[in-house]
Amino acid sequence: MTRPFLSIRAVRKTFGAFVAVHDVTIDVPKGEFLTFLGPSGSGKSTTLYAIAGFQDPSSGDVLLEDRSLLSVPPHKRNIGMVFQRYTLFPHLSVAENVAFPLRVRRRPDGEIKRKVADMLALVRLENFADRHPGALSGGQQQRVALARALAYDPPILLMDEPLSALDKKLRQEIQAEIRRIHRETGVTILYVTHDQEEALHLSDRIALFREGRIEQIGTGEDLYLRPASEFVAGFIGNSNFLPAEHLQTADGASTIRLAGGSIVTGVKATTSFGQGQNVRLMVRPEAFRLTPTPTSVALAVEIVDTAFFGDRRRVVARTAGGDEIDVRPTSDAEVGDSTATSGQRIFFDPASAFLFPA
Amino acid sequence: MQGNSSRRGSVAGLPAGSGSALPALLLVGLFFIVPVVALLLRSVTDPEPGLQNYAALFGSGTYVRVFLNTFLVASVVTAVTILVAFPVAWMLAIMPPALGSIVFGIIILSMWTNLLTRTYAWMVLLQRTGVINRALMGLGIIHEPLPLINNLAGVTIGMVYIMLPFMILPLVGTLRAIDPMTLRAAALCGASPFAAFRRILLPLSLPGVAAGGLMVFVMSLGYFVTPALLGGTSNMMLAEMIAQTVQSLLNWGLGSAAAFVLLVVTMALYAIQLRLVGARRTGGGI
Repeated sequence: MTRPFLSIRAVRKTFGAFVAVHDVTIDVPKGEFLTFLGPSGSGKSTTLYAIAGFQDPSSGDVLLEDRSLLSVPPHKRNIGMVFQRYTLFPHLSVAENVAFPLRVRRRPDGEIKRKVADMLALVRLENFADRHPGALSGGQQQRVALARALAYDPPILLMDEPLSALDKKLRQEIQAEIRRIHRETGVTILYVTHDQEEALHLSDRIALFREGRIEQIGTGEDLYLRPASEFVAGFIGNSNFLPAEHLQTADGASTIRLAGGSIVTGVKATTSFGQGQNVRLMVRPEAFRLTPTPTSVALAVEIVDTAFFGDRRRVVARTAGGDEIDVRPTSDAEVGDSTATSGQRIFFDPASAFLFPA
Repeated sequence: MQGNSSRRGSVAGLPAGSGSALPALLLVGLFFIVPVVALLLRSVTDPEPGLQNYAALFGSGTYVRVFLNTFLVASVVTAVTILVAFPVAWMLAIMPPALGSIVFGIIILSMWTNLLTRTYAWMVLLQRTGVINRALMGLGIIHEPLPLINNLAGVTIGMVYIMLPFMILPLVGTLRAIDPMTLRAAALCGASPFAAFRRILLPLSLPGVAAGGLMVFVMSLGYFVTPALLGGTSNMMLAEMIAQTVQSLLNWGLGSAAAFVLLVVTMALYAIQLRLVGARRTGGGI
């Protein structure tokens, strides 16, 4: 049986009476890109800092290849890290910043020179070796930080919201760089972010944190298509939640009554509900259609607004129950019918919807 | 400058509000520039025109020794002050601001206490039968009193104590500008606490060390009270020598020459420091 490469075992961190991290357990295989996703204060950074050695967990253990890291001081953990803020050494050139971890390890000059050249090539900053960090843009600084963190071939690379200070276009550019670097180096990456799109784009697996616990861990598809809770469904992607009453469940399909009175049958039931129990129906915006399909059910709505985003449109509709729904028509043809405001119908396949307790 | 010259109340290209600086400028002009010029004149005219005062100053072994000793004491005091001040400044820089301002207050308070009082207090503490020697002997750590006064050790202790705030204040400013995250990054890169200090913290704090160090060194060069009370006859400093030359020997020409040399050395040091720190700022991107 193969042992996990990195094992986070029941890590708990308390600050006084406040529990920042509740017994988090994760096994990370070698080479995986695992993202800790969650709102601020959900414990994701605290967990990362426990691995880095900046915060000792109150209990639990962190094992790297079966050896506990907890008694090892940060400078001996041999872990790479890229921080949220720019942490390059301002008095050293780009090349000397990348060389720093090798210099403190007293590697021979020839090897340092070679490695620095390799690393700068990896992050495509060969022509910036002699600049000082102050003369670089934020994106370039984070790429140097990445080169510095990988220069000593650490088994694990930690990244703590490294792109949050950058603008959107640059963020996407560097996300692509990070994906490529992960592919090329095969380093195990633990990545912290509160940006679900970033998490979906980058990760092999995502651990979604909520109030110090892992709400769900799985691939992006798992979290998007099979959310374990309303929180997951709401955090990953966009979702519409409609209040409803559960009527009955048979053969894994539930029948519910929406707030407006319409009855919907054939909704996937992930948990069991009692008769008459209040539930929330979750439908993704892209699951709505403006025209019916053979398996879809209809919802009487009033169109409140349509907006054009270039590659897609966004339609805001209001149900008879008064709930606003976000609809993402996938083709222009469908939108053609939605110019009138009231007396419209939108359609969705009940099999693509989820029920959560209210 | 140009933008300001159109403002109300400005005079011929000077920034608005320059007028209110006039009294201070007059004060400096009248009571500093004029006496300095007078000093210079006296050093080359008293008792007769010529450079004989400077010749006497640099020709005599005694005076040269006083000069060397002055530099020795100032150097030792500056070095020790830097060593003692650095940890305090670092602590202040990373402390929570509320606690930091209390410690800051204590340091400032010591500056407000009378210099003579503090120096006499050190005499009481440091003398052969003083508190420190008696305590150490009482504890059995030493059997003979340590020579802590009327020598270099005494001067160093007394002056470091007085100079500390002048070193701590500029150093705190520089250290506060360093992001503590940078040191965390250095640690994860594999730098031991000592390596992080030597390769990151120390180079980044050099402008503060240079500013504080120069201030302490220059103040030490011309210090009078503390060296006179805590120092010995064998390591007289320049200020004391000038006082003796003028008061006891009534040799105004020689005293003026010595004072002028001190002033020139001080200004030369300041110019060098400006150059070094200025060059670092532009080249190092700090």
